[in-house]
Amino acid sequence: MSGKSAHKNCLLKVIILGDGGVGKSCLMNRFVNNHFDDHSFHTIGVEFLNKEMKIKNEMYTLQIWDTAGQERFKSLRTPFYRGSDICMLTYAVDDKSSFQSLGMWKNEFVYYSDIKDGSAFPFVVVANKVDISEEKRQVSEVEARNWCKENGDLPYIETSAKDAINVDVAFNMAVDIWSQLEAEMDKQGMSNDTIRIDPNRNGKREACCGL
Amino acid sequence: METKSKSMYDMSSSGTEIFTHGGVGYVPPSATKDDVQTCGTLSIVSYSFGKCIEWKPNDVSIETDGSEQEWAMVNTSKSPSASSSQGDANPQRWLSVRIPISEIKSYRVSNKKTKLLLVHKDRLTHTAFYFQFENADCFTKSLRSVVRTRRSRHDKHTYNIVQERVDPQMPHSFSDFNLLTDRKETVWKFVSDMRSKPYETTLSTFSKFSEYLLYKNPDERPSEEVARLFEGRPQQPQNPALDGSKSDGLSEYLIVERLKPRVLCPRGQPLSVTQWANAMDAEGRISDVKELKKIIFEGGVQDSIRYEVWKFLLGYFPWDSSTHERQELRQVKTEEYFRMKLQWKSMTPEQEARFSDFRDRKTLIEKDVNRTDRTLPFFEGDDNPNLGLLYDVLMTYVMYDFDLGYVQGMSDLLSPILSVMSNEVDAFWCFVGFMKRVFRNFDMDQSGMKKQLSQLHTLLSAVHPDLSHFLDEHDSGNMFFCFRWLLVWFKREFTHQEIMVLWEVMWTELPCSNFHLLVSVAILEREKDVLIENNYGFTEILKHVNDLSYKMNLHDVLATATAIFKQLESSPNLTVATRRVLGLSGGSSHNSSSSEDDSLSDGLACEMAALEKDCDQGDTTGVTPEK
Repeated sequence: MSGKSAHKNCLLKVIILGDGGVGKSCLMNRFVNNHFDDHSFHTIGVEFLNKEMKIKNEMYTLQIWDTAGQERFKSLRTPFYRGSDICMLTYAVDDKSSFQSLGMWKNEFVYYSDIKDGSAFPFVVVANKVDISEEKRQVSEVEARNWCKENGDLPYIETSAKDAINVDVAFNMAVDIWSQLEAEMDKQGMSNDTIRIDPNRNGKREACCGL
Repeated sequence: METKSKSMYDMSSSGTEIFTHGGVGYVPPSATKDDVQTCGTLSIVSYSFGKCIEWKPNDVSIETDGSEQEWAMVNTSKSPSASSSQGDANPQRWLSVRIPISEIKSYRVSNKKTKLLLVHKDRLTHTAFYFQFENADCFTKSLRSVVRTRRSRHDKHTYNIVQERVDPQMPHSFSDFNLLTDRKETVWKFVSDMRSKPYETTLSTFSKFSEYLLYKNPDERPSEEVARLFEGRPQQPQNPALDGSKSDGLSEYLIVERLKPRVLCPRGQPLSVTQWANAMDAEGRISDVKELKKIIFEGGVQDSIRYEVWKFLLGYFPWDSSTHERQELRQVKTEEYFRMKLQWKSMTPEQEARFSDFRDRKTLIEKDVNRTDRTLPFFEGDDNPNLGLLYDVLMTYVMYDFDLGYVQGMSDLLSPILSVMSNEVDAFWCFVGFMKRVFRNFDMDQSGMKKQLSQLHTLLSAVHPDLSHFLDEHDSGNMFFCFRWLLVWFKREFTHQEIMVLWEVMWTELPCSNFHLLVSVAILEREKDVLIENNYGFTEILKHVNDLSYKMNLHDVLATATAIFKQLESSPNLTVATRRVLGLSGGSSHNSSSSEDDSLSDGLACEMAALEKDCDQGDTTGVTPEK
C-alpha cells in the first residue's frame, strides 16, 4: 500500500455489536485496559475507548465503540455505525438467542453504516464467555462456524473477556482482515482505474466521525 | 386544500416562516450545466393562501429600490417560470423561488442527502435544491410536519404529498421559535454589517425587524433589544461587541444585556428529624407542603427519615393523609403488589415458552439485575438477597405496566429507592411514582428523550449562546452527549449518596419544570472553557462528558443550577421557547403541553432527525430486529 506512510497514526473505527449482556463493554475494557469487572454496569448511550496499535510497522489508533444493546435504543445507536472500519458481531456462548440475533445485527449494521458492499467489509464474529462450564454452553463451535460460513465466510473467534482468552487475538484478527481488504481495494483501484471513495477518509475521520 | 382566488399568490402579502434552512443551493431551470448554483436559504412559509416553499439567495440586498424582492413563481397553474424581472438582466441574482405546497406532487432526497427534488403536479416541472451539509432530511422532516406524505411504492426515497396538515397550532409554535432564532442571527449580522455599509444595513435590518414586529404578539416583541440596537448603544467603545468582529464577543454582549446578573444561591441544611416531626399535626397530616418542599429543595433530607419522606415525594402517600389512613393505604397497596407478583411467579414454563414478550422482558431483567450498583454495600457480593428484591420489583413492574415492560435504565432508577426502603412493597410503589414522572424517557421511539435534549439546547442557548453555537458547529447541537444524564437522572454521574440528594431535590418539582435540564446546563457551564478552548469535535465532546462521571461536586452544581433559574426568571427578554421549557408564565402560548410535544419546537428536533437517519426506512427494509 503505497500511501501508508501518509496514513501515519490513522484512526480505525471499530464497532462492537450484539445483544445486551453478551460482554461488549467487557471485551472493550479487557482489550484497552486489560481490566475485567464481573459486575460492571450495562452501557447507557454510547461509549468509546481509544487504543494505540502497531500494524505492519504503522501506528494506528483503534477507536472502539460500545453501544447499548437493547432494541429500544436503536435510533440512538445506529447513527454511530457510519464511518466504521471494522465491525465485531458478538454473542455469548451461554445465550442461544444472542447467537440467533447475529443476523439481525449484521443487517442493521450493513443498512445503517452506508457501506457499499457488505461482503467486502471486515466483520469478525466473536463468541464470548467461553470461560463458562461446558454444560452451560448453548451454542457449539460447529453451529457457529456453520453460520459464519453461510453468512459470507466470516472469520470466527472464541473469547473470554473474563479470563483474558483471545481478546487481543480477536482485535488483531479484525485489523488484519481490514488491512487485507484495504490492500485488495488498493490493488483493484490501480488495475481497474476505479476511484476509491474518499481515500483520505482515515486522516479526516477525527473531525467527522460519529454523526 | 386552499381555494384558489386571483389574489392567492399575491406577492406582497406577508407570510410567517415556519422553518428556515440555510446553506441551500438552487440552479434555475434556465441555467446551463456549468452555471454555479447560488447559495441561499430554503424556507417553509405560511401565507393566508396556504403554505409555500421559498428559496431566497443569500445576497439579496436592498440596493435596487428597497422594494420587495422579486419572486419567480414556480407554479404549474401559471406559466412555470413566470417571473417578472424588469430591472435586472442577470436572472440568477434576483431570482427567488416560491412554490405553493399545494402544487407539489412529491419529493425525493438523493445524492447522500444533498439533493432535494420537488416534482410538481404536472409531473413535468422539477425543482432541485442542493444542501451543502448533506442535511436535506432536516428540511423534509419539517416539510412532513406540515403536509401528510406517503412513501412511494416504486421508490423508497420518494414521498408523495397527500395533503396539507390542518393544524393551526403547530405552525404557530414553529414560527415562534424560528422568528426568535432568526432574530438573533439578524442582530449578529446587523452589527457586523453596520460597520461596513451602515446605510444599507440600517434599511434592510429595519425592514426585517418591522416584519418581526408585525408577526409577533405585542408582548413578545423584543422592544428593548431592538431599541438598544437602534439607539446605537452597541457602538459604545467599552462594548466588547465592536472591539472585534468575533461573534463570540457579540454573544457575550447579548448575554450581559439580556440576562440579569446572577445571584449566588447557597445550599441549605437537609430536612431534619425535628422539622419533619413538626411538619405533621396530631393526626399525622402535613399541611405546609410548600415550606417542606422548599427545605428539601434547598438541602435535601437527613438520611434517617429518607425512607419516610420519599414516600410522600413520590406520591405513594398523599401529603394530607393521616397516619391511620396511611396504614390502611399501605395494607391495600401491599395486597395489590403481591397479587401482581403472583401473576408472574405462577407462570408455568410451558406458558412462558409461548409468551415471548414476557420472556424477553424477563431475560433482560435477569441480565441487568446482576450488573446494577454491585459496588454498593446493599447489593454487593454473590447471592446477595437484595438482588432478589431488585429482580422481584422489576418483574412485578412488568406486570404493572406490561406495555412499557422493562427498559435498560430502569434498574438504575429503582436501585437507590430499594436501598432506602429495604422493603419490596414500598420500593415498588415509590418506583411507580418515579416512573410516572420519567416514563417518557423510555418511549419506544425515544421521542421523550429527543424532546428533552432539544429543550436542553434551548436552555443552553438562553444561558450560553456561545457554547450552544460552538456545539452546533461541532456536530453536537443534538446534545446527544447528555443522553445518559437525562435517561437515568444523572445516576451514572454522581455517587450513591449524592444521587439520593439530587433526586429528592428534583422530586420537589421546584423551582420550575425541567429543573434537571438546568442541572445539565450548570454542568456544561463548568466545562464550557475546556470544550471551546480545545476546539473539541463530536467524539471528544462525547468522551469528555462521559468522563465527567463521579468527578463533579453536587452541591456546586445544584447551587449553580438554582442561580441560573433565578437569573432566567428575572430576565424579561427570554424567548418563548425558553419560558415554555421552564414553565414560566408567558411561555404557554399553547394551552396544553401536548401540542408542544408534537411540534418540532426547535431546529434541534431536526438535528435529531438527521441522527436517526430515517428510522422509518429501516422498518420497511426488513432489518427490524426480531427482539
